[in-house]
Amino acid sequence: MTSRIEIYSPEGLRLDGRRWNEVRHFRCAINTHPVSSDGSSIIEQGNTKVICNVIGPAEPTLRSRALLDRLCISVKVIVAPFSTIERRKRPQNDSRIQEMCSSIQHVFEDAVIAHLFPRSQIDVNLYIVAQDGGVLQACINATTLALIDAGVPMYDYVCACTAGMLDREVLLDMNRIEESDMPFLTMATIGATRKVSLLQLEMKVQFDRLEPMMAAAMSGCHHIRNLMDNEVRKHGKSRRQMGSL
Amino acid sequence: MPRDLTPSTLENTFVLKALTERVRLDNRSFNQLRDLDVSFSSTEYGLVDVKLGRTRVIARISAEITQPYPDRPYDGLFLISTEISPMAAPTFEAGRKSEDELVISRIIEKSIRRSGALDTEALCIISGEKCWAVRADVHFLDHDGGLLDAACIAVSAGLLHFRRPDITIEGVGSRREVIVHPITERVPVPLAVLHVPVCVTFSFFDVRKASSAVAGVPSKDEMKAENDDDDIEEEGDSSIAVLVDATLQEELLRHGYMSVTANTNREICQIQKGGEMPVEVGTLLSCSEAAIIVAEKVTKLINKRLKEDETRRNVGNLLVESRAENDR
Repeated sequence: MTSRIEIYSPEGLRLDGRRWNEVRHFRCAINTHPVSSDGSSIIEQGNTKVICNVIGPAEPTLRSRALLDRLCISVKVIVAPFSTIERRKRPQNDSRIQEMCSSIQHVFEDAVIAHLFPRSQIDVNLYIVAQDGGVLQACINATTLALIDAGVPMYDYVCACTAGMLDREVLLDMNRIEESDMPFLTMATIGATRKVSLLQLEMKVQFDRLEPMMAAAMSGCHHIRNLMDNEVRKHGKSRRQMGSL
Repeated sequence: MPRDLTPSTLENTFVLKALTERVRLDNRSFNQLRDLDVSFSSTEYGLVDVKLGRTRVIARISAEITQPYPDRPYDGLFLISTEISPMAAPTFEAGRKSEDELVISRIIEKSIRRSGALDTEALCIISGEKCWAVRADVHFLDHDGGLLDAACIAVSAGLLHFRRPDITIEGVGSRREVIVHPITERVPVPLAVLHVPVCVTFSFFDVRKASSAVAGVPSKDEMKAENDDDDIEEEGDSSIAVLVDATLQEELLRHGYMSVTANTNREICQIQKGGEMPVEVGTLLSCSEAAIIVAEKVTKLINKRLKEDETRRNVGNLLVESRAENDR
């Protein structure tokens, strides 16, 4: 099948017509569920769509889980059975999903100013509505926006992006077909800095190819940070005009 | 009732203060591994005992014939089981998956299975009907930090050591029979191991008094490509201490960690840096490079032990001792 699909044409165009360093079409919306949650967001990166709801900071559901001096975050990821090409119901304790939950929890426990809310808990619910590659990155971006909407104090945006290596070409922000065909890494940075919060590589890659992949992913993260920042400011402006701030 | 091991504030402060003076409690240097010992069973193939400092892990490789998955008729099966029982430490509960267990099982899965350390196509006997199912069971006997590293070494070494029974296929078409020869009849066959993945865990400590450095520093001009294997923590941030192979106490007190699996082909099989404690990207790259060096050391040790085991088994084996072949 891969021989018929040209992942990277000799002219430098990918399957969807992007160049190697172009991020997919990024659309996000904040405060999409004002009634059911304290903060919410919907993110669309290409065809990958993720909805995030944040409830909190609030009293912890399990007293034993509460940390005495800081906030604890509980992340739940629900993958819709219609999110992939084949309709498949995923069991809740699938280890891949559990790992995603645990990674996102650790990323945000450090990114949120946690010592302001001792003995409290934030519930993050992520709904993956459509999967087309870059699911973890979309989840992290969606959670950042939802936490901002909920008014949770954070040090900086947490932005995530993927980058892959096809032979010697670096490709940024990959979709499902590209992801299954080449080694790729998911990186989450703190704002526009060089501090990396999350780094995940799942397929074998030569060590020398690692540095360009990481550099590309980092610039992708910075770009996404600017896109998210624009949306947040736009949203803030509209709320001020509406008089709700 | 098993409770989480929480170190005291005193321990916390002491260890951090020692790290600012570049001292580890067991007097190792920051990128020194603990004493690693890999020993193979002399009676059974595929049973390996790994001691990493005081952490002890046993891996057992076994194989049986079964039917392959219908959507992959040319591949054999390969399962890795890494269940942690309370034998390793009282904080683990039998049957309940703690987060540590989840992390270990996922990373071992990615390091060994997904990276293709074992060639599953070589496990096929009759496509679509019969194949070998290789199973690696990891038993954690003692937890003193580095369970993941020790488990990865144990499974890799076990796969290299294991021998499966030799088989012949007789008959044609649908009346084909597979004859499994016992080890007393025919010499057992080694598995097709394509590379030897070794996992190395780096622990990050923020040695500044303030809570973890999340607010970033403005980016430097370009990424420095570090290529020295000593003192990875000297470049980039001096406020972060990077330790290789943490003991249990260091593991409980660390602020973040990164697991890198590398092999001697200078390939990185997987990287997992959890979300805790953001680290500058140059440090992560130097850690990956250091992992390759550790992988080379460990693979050399495994090969040395394998050779010793081989000679031990072949004592009295006239076929091997009376070979006319000489070393060139």
